[in-house]
Amino acid sequence: MRIGSYRLRMEKRLTVSGWEAATISVLAVIFALALFSIIFVLAGVNPLVAYREILSYAFANPFGLPPTINRFIFLLFCTFAFIIPFRAGLWNIGMAGQFYVGALCAFAVLYAFGGKASRSADLPAEIVIPLMLLASALGGAILAGIAGFLKGKLNINEIVVTMMLNFIAYWLVSFMIKEGGPFMNPGGRGESFELPASVHPPLFNDVAFTLLLALGIAIYLSFLFARTRTGYQIRAHGLSPAAARYAGVSTVKISLLVFVVGGALAGLAGYHYFAAVPGVFKIARNYGQIGDLAFYGIICGLISLADPLAAIPVALLFAGLTVGGRFVQGQLGIGFGIDYALLGVLMITLVAFQFFYRYRPVLERNVQLEERLEDVGVYR
Amino acid sequence: MVLERVEHGDTVLEARGITKRFPGVVANDRIDFEIKAGEIHAILGENGAGKTTLMNILFGLYQPDEGEIWIGGEHVRFRSPLDAIDLGIGMVHQNRKLVSAHTALENIILGHPHAGKILDLKRAEAEISDLCNRYGFSVDLKAKVWQLAEGEKQVVEILKALYRGAKILILDEPTSALAPPETKRLLASIQAMTEDELAIVPFITHKLPIVLAVSDRVTVLRQGKVTARLETEAATEQSLAKEMVGREVIFRLERVKAETGQPILEVENLTTLSDKGYLALKGVSFSISEGEILGIAGISGNGQQELAEVLAGLRQAEAGRVILDGTEITHIPTLERWQRGMGYVPAERVDVGSIGDFSLVENVTMNYYFDDEFCRGGVVHYRDIRKLTKEIVAEYSVATTGPDCKAKTLSGGNLQKLILGRVLSRRPRLLIANLPTQGLDVGATEFVRNKLIEAKKEKAGILLLSEDLDEILSLSDWVAPIYEGELMGIIPGEEAKREVVGAMMAGSVSGSGTS
Amino acid sequence: MWEFIARSLEASTIFTFAALGELISQRSGILNVGVEGVMLFGATLGFIAAQLSESYLLGFLVAIAIGGLLGLLHGFFSVTLGSDQVVVGMGIWILGFGLTTYIGNPYTGPLGLDRIPTFLGLSPFFYLAVVLVIVTWFVLTKTSLGLRIRSVGESPGVAEVSGISVNRTRYLCVTVGGMLGGFGGAVYSLFYNPVWNYNFLMGWGFIALALVFFSMWNPWILFGGSLLFGTLWQLSLNPQLVLPGVMSRYLWRTVPFVATVLALLVMSTKWFRTRWGAAKPEALGLPYTK
Repeated sequence: MRIGSYRLRMEKRLTVSGWEAATISVLAVIFALALFSIIFVLAGVNPLVAYREILSYAFANPFGLPPTINRFIFLLFCTFAFIIPFRAGLWNIGMAGQFYVGALCAFAVLYAFGGKASRSADLPAEIVIPLMLLASALGGAILAGIAGFLKGKLNINEIVVTMMLNFIAYWLVSFMIKEGGPFMNPGGRGESFELPASVHPPLFNDVAFTLLLALGIAIYLSFLFARTRTGYQIRAHGLSPAAARYAGVSTVKISLLVFVVGGALAGLAGYHYFAAVPGVFKIARNYGQIGDLAFYGIICGLISLADPLAAIPVALLFAGLTVGGRFVQGQLGIGFGIDYALLGVLMITLVAFQFFYRYRPVLERNVQLEERLEDVGVYR
Repeated sequence: MVLERVEHGDTVLEARGITKRFPGVVANDRIDFEIKAGEIHAILGENGAGKTTLMNILFGLYQPDEGEIWIGGEHVRFRSPLDAIDLGIGMVHQNRKLVSAHTALENIILGHPHAGKILDLKRAEAEISDLCNRYGFSVDLKAKVWQLAEGEKQVVEILKALYRGAKILILDEPTSALAPPETKRLLASIQAMTEDELAIVPFITHKLPIVLAVSDRVTVLRQGKVTARLETEAATEQSLAKEMVGREVIFRLERVKAETGQPILEVENLTTLSDKGYLALKGVSFSISEGEILGIAGISGNGQQELAEVLAGLRQAEAGRVILDGTEITHIPTLERWQRGMGYVPAERVDVGSIGDFSLVENVTMNYYFDDEFCRGGVVHYRDIRKLTKEIVAEYSVATTGPDCKAKTLSGGNLQKLILGRVLSRRPRLLIANLPTQGLDVGATEFVRNKLIEAKKEKAGILLLSEDLDEILSLSDWVAPIYEGELMGIIPGEEAKREVVGAMMAGSVSGSGTS
Repeated sequence: MWEFIARSLEASTIFTFAALGELISQRSGILNVGVEGVMLFGATLGFIAAQLSESYLLGFLVAIAIGGLLGLLHGFFSVTLGSDQVVVGMGIWILGFGLTTYIGNPYTGPLGLDRIPTFLGLSPFFYLAVVLVIVTWFVLTKTSLGLRIRSVGESPGVAEVSGISVNRTRYLCVTVGGMLGGFGGAVYSLFYNPVWNYNFLMGWGFIALALVFFSMWNPWILFGGSLLFGTLWQLSLNPQLVLPGVMSRYLWRTVPFVATVLALLVMSTKWFRTRWGAAKPEALGLPYTK
């Protein structure tokens, strides 16, 4: 491609440095947001106004900030659920299902302790809350573990399996909370029974305590990949399963491990969203919509290049965009689903930018042209 | 078509001043040569001499930077292989360019302009059978290519070129993957083709005897230039080798005798399956003692790869036993084998032996992440491994900018040296070296072979798998030719004669050559 | 009972179209895991077009067009840019799922047009599906074009030196695949269940993807699989027609998904594995550079 006396061409890269990759990611996000403004324009809204409203609500507004942070925690867990298997070269797109099952297991603990009976049931929080955390992690871990085991042992495509498990889990939730199900709210309404006040979790300014859990896990995961034997095996397997086998890494063990851990974290998201965030405290009737937002974990994971620490600002940004977006939807009269549309545009932009990991744009002087012009006497 | 009517002796192809440059090297430097109808004109040259580039230019895959090609007296330009094919040039590749899942017939007619919208398989079959009869080919056209033997696959490629109307046939290393009886058949067919005024241009690296036996003229390439053009009658093996390499060539390497000791590896009746489910190894038995090199001589595809893999634990043994240092290890996981002192240098150095996106340090970690000295409490001590990596890089002269650069920046030879260094640094009791010098230049090859001899002196037992018969004969204490998954014998190194081993590699039981 | 069978066949046609499209694409070596996204777009845009113009024809044409466009997009990323095909497929899925949620929301509700008449008691699309299966089988196995497609999917390097344009062939197949996927989606939203709803496709695209795998790239087996899954799907919706009162209706909804996982398990047994490995286009999912 020629631009005047310069030429633009694509040169194959041999390696990509961390900084280069990060730059590409950032550019992809900016490009996507710019592209997304078309949707605002089509809805009759000035995109700059829209973005300003979104970000200011999410980050500068005392009513908007806590939901943003709570959403951030949710997304971060879902991102971890994607990242860990991704590092091993495997796709976990079942975080929605693992999230559902995690929620169900947490509520199963409540049920076992008699929490269904009434909102004022007195339950020992010091025992119940940790148990709920444990149960939700276990639930997600087992569901994901099925996919991990099938992949590791029988090489069954994990994309299809995790997706199927998503739907199975989805309907399982319906079964449990809708008419006649064991977790049904005594008042009906197609939702689960409510979290008794005695086990409402500690909050700091309306932000769930799970924030610390999520951040702590981020730091631990970073350490895991960089320094531990397990982390090494996961990375090796992700880059070259054949070489990893040769090095003695067990494909079965690694596949199972990454899915179990990833699933556990998505399960924790289930506890977090339905039992730790104020204003919810039950498995809501529109649980499916939240579950679909779990897929943002995929995008955050890809943009942050599967790095647990990089996932923090990315998840925070998207938490702000989705919470702010939902708010702005009402404010500016845009139709429902703006946050989903953003998800779509982001993903496809990211896919397009993958190209730049392998090719670098190079601008060079068009030497032949210059030489010819010199010959003719035009260019000195 | 330009070459419709030629007579014996007409010049069918002329290349003048062919030059091709790649970053940092001139692959072809003003090459001139010509090919006559009905002749067999061999192009000879070492790895890196520019043969492949020239071949690709003749076939239209590359365009020359300078120079011209004339076919049948007319100047031509190839923009793609399609142009070359249309003008009557056919190419038979070294690594067969065939679709293994399809039948021979389907491969031959693929892309043929006259194949018609709806495939007329019967007519094609009849026409191709005619060609077979004409030149003495015999191959089951309805068989799937993956079921065919090497020689038969080559026949399919030749038929494909002929069916497309090739008048000039370029053969890339035509005999390197063939057993002697297949080679004989091929040469007979080539003679038959020249009687039809086809020109055959084999590109060859090693098989000097073949060149002398069958070609009419030889053109020798060295470092991108033509260094000799000879009538074959006037050439000898020595003179050709001298032109190829530029100096006198020694044909035999010195074998080092070492003291042998306890048996390290005992293999009894080992049987395993190939990926397709066929028997790859049929009850193989042998043993290797300390300080011994057992060389498995064979053409690839006869079970060597599967042997290496089953010993390494990367493939399941269906029957038989493997005993390492007195302990049976037939079914234990790969990791345990490394921990018990087995080392394996795989043939696929890029895909299996190393991880391109990992740094050199992380690659060395492949053999050390399970070692208690370098990994305590689940934490890998990269700093210590880094030190070790630097030592390996120095000792093995690995050309690199540093231990932190990615393995994929290393050239083939340097990567192989790193892998070898990594494996040998663990002082394995048993080393399995699968095609250790394949694709390496002379310097790296010599280095690797010396390191193997060093390991042998340190009382390691070595299983050497190689396609280079000279390498096997000069390095091994025992030579075991392998054919279709069976060892045809285990011969002491000093007594192993080239012709005998060669015959056994082709399936002869007693070693008397099949003539 | 007849009603149940008729509806099962209707459902099966949707699987057939989407899966056939993916089969063609995969035979040329391109893997599209985002079939669901293509179907969603076809279904949603087709639905909107049909409702606004009150013309079924326009609805289907729009669906086919958008499906083709998405196929081209997939082709561009996978063939020309050489990106990882799984990533591209995931992108198409999420793009579909995300954008159609937003675009379709104002049109939530029933289509509002007279239903397309059945032919001999069965959906007209069923006959079309059968014809397509035959055509696909014929083209792939008996024509030059089919041989070329299959070679491109097995060994693109070989195809290229035989004078075939690998890229052009792949673009063709992935676009046709997309068109069929979009069409399948439209059959769902315009005929089988003409009501638009948030996330209404519920995994059909992924089941279709799994179907291609277990068909071992054979159009006839694929057709059989579609019939089976169409029936299972219908069963999951109306269990009372066959097994009244056995289980909560929500648990019945999980049947097609459980069945898919079970089918995949069967595929991994030894008997299947070698056959599957042999039938698999060798270059599937691998980017090709000259």
